[in-house]
Amino acid sequence: MMMDSEPPTLHSRRTLSLRFNIPISKTHQFWDSLRDGKFVTTKCRGCGMVSFPPQSDCPECMSGDAEWVDLGTEAELVTFTYVQVTPTSFVANDPYLVGIGRLGNGLKVLAWIEGTTLEKLTPGMKLKVEFRKTGDGSSYYVFVPAT
Amino acid sequence: MRQVAIVGIGHSKFGRRTDVNLGELAFESIKQAVQDAGVEKKQIENVTVGSAGGWYEESLPAVIVNEYAGFDKVGTMRVEAACASGSAAVRSAYLSIASGEAEIALAVGLEKMTEVDTLTSVELMGRAGSYVWEFENYGMTFPAYYALHAVAHMKTFGTTEEDMARVAVKAHHYASMNPLAQFQKEITLEKALSSQVVSWPLKLYDACPISDGSAAVVLASEDAARKLSDTPIWIKGIGVSSDSANLSRRDGYVGLAATVDASRKAYALAKITPADLDVATCHDCFTIAEIMAYEDLGFCAKGDGPKLLRDGQTEIGGRIPVNVDGGLKAKGHPVGATGVSMMVEVSKQLRGEAGKHQVPVKHGNGLVHNVGGTGHYCYVTVLSRDQ
Repeated sequence: MMMDSEPPTLHSRRTLSLRFNIPISKTHQFWDSLRDGKFVTTKCRGCGMVSFPPQSDCPECMSGDAEWVDLGTEAELVTFTYVQVTPTSFVANDPYLVGIGRLGNGLKVLAWIEGTTLEKLTPGMKLKVEFRKTGDGSSYYVFVPAT
Repeated sequence: MRQVAIVGIGHSKFGRRTDVNLGELAFESIKQAVQDAGVEKKQIENVTVGSAGGWYEESLPAVIVNEYAGFDKVGTMRVEAACASGSAAVRSAYLSIASGEAEIALAVGLEKMTEVDTLTSVELMGRAGSYVWEFENYGMTFPAYYALHAVAHMKTFGTTEEDMARVAVKAHHYASMNPLAQFQKEITLEKALSSQVVSWPLKLYDACPISDGSAAVVLASEDAARKLSDTPIWIKGIGVSSDSANLSRRDGYVGLAATVDASRKAYALAKITPADLDVATCHDCFTIAEIMAYEDLGFCAKGDGPKLLRDGQTEIGGRIPVNVDGGLKAKGHPVGATGVSMMVEVSKQLRGEAGKHQVPVKHGNGLVHNVGGTGHYCYVTVLSRDQ
C-alpha cells in the first residue's frame, strides 16, 4: 500500500548485519601493551622509521624487520572537534570530543579527549594518553588534559 | 596520447529520489548524454560507472546499469575513489580513448544514498578513512574529519564560523538558479549560523546533504568528436593524487595536500595557470572544504580563502566563479555522481548553455576539482572549449 509521504517502495526483507573479524597477529603487541598500560609502536630495524599506527612492514624501505618501541604518553593538542551527530553504531554514546595529538617524537595520534569540555580545548594544550577498557574487555586509548 | 573530448552530457535531478531505483536513476542521465552526443549505443565501447556503493542493495552497479540501459558486450567496471569516483570513471574512459583502445566511451557517475536510514549513511561515510584507528573506538564521521580541518584553519588564519556560513549562502543562492539542484531556496547567514551543530564547529548548513543522483558524459577521440559535435569540450589534463588513510599521518590540517599536488599536475598538463580559468567546480562537501580548495588550487594565497569569498571574487562576475551550480553543498552530493556532475556543469558553462547561472567565458577553460574522502583521493581536471 502506498503511504502519503512515500512513493511505491519495496522494503527489502533480507537484512544484513556485518561484523568483521580483523586479524591483528602482526600488531597484537600494541593491543597487549595497552592492557599493560604502555603505549608502543613499531620501529623499522632497517631504516629506523617509526610508524603510527604500528605496522610490521616498513612503508619507507619495505623491510619486514620491526621492533617495538615506547611512544610515551605526553602529547600536545593539534586540532579537535565535538561529534554531536554520531553514527548509527555509536547512538548509545553521548556526543564525544575527538582530537589529534602530537607525541614527543612528532608522531600524531587520533583519539577521544576525555575529562574536559569543548570550551576548555585549545590547540597547543598539553595532553596525556590514558588507557581504557570497553565493557567486553578490549582496550583502547584516550587523551586527557595533562595536569 | 590522443586528444579526447566530451561530446555528450546528461544529468539527473539530484535529491531524495525515492521515485526511481538504481538503474532507472542512471538511465536518466545516460539517455540524455547519448542523445546529446548523437551516438548509437552500439558505438560505445566502454562503460565505466563511478560509484562508491554501500548505500544501495546492488553489489554490481555497472552490470545493473548496463542491463537496464541496454549495453551489452562492452568493456565495463565500477570504479571507486570515494567521493571522487565520478572523476575516476571519467579518467578511466578518457584513458581508454587516449590510449587508442576505444573511439567512444561512456562514463557514468551514480549514487543512491537514501535507501538506508540517515545515521547508517553517516556511519558508511565515517568508515571512509582507517577503520581500526579512527572508527572502531572513536566513531569518526565525515563532518568530524572536516571539522578537524576547520578548527586548524580557524586557529591558524582566524577564519570564522561566519566565513564558512558565507559559502553555504552562496551555494544556496546559485542552487536556486539550477533546476537540477537538491535545494531550490536561498538561505540567510543567520539561518546558516543558527543551524544544529553536527560536529563543532560545523553545523547542518556547513554540510552537503545526503543525495541520490546520476550524471553521464560521452567521450570521443579527436576524429569521432569532430564528426559528432560542433561544441566538443576538450579534456586538457587530469591531475591525480592521494594521501594517507589515517589523518594522523598528515603533515597538517589547514588544507589538502592531495589537492595541491593534483592541481599542479593538471595545470602543467593543460599548460595553464589559475588565471586562465573562467569557472571552477570545487569539492565543497563542507563549507571549510571550499575555502581550503580556493587556497590549495592556487586561486589565492594560503589563508586568504575567506577574503576571496568576502570580496565576491568567487561569484559570477568575480575573478574565478566557483560552484555556481550550487556545489555539493546545495546541488547535492550523490557521492559517485559528483565528479561527473562537475564535468557536465563545466561543459555547459564552456558551451554557453548554463542558463541563469552562466559565467562569462573569456579564456575558454574550466576546472573540475573532485576530492575523495578527506583528501584521500584527489582528481583535478582541466576542460577547454578550444583544442
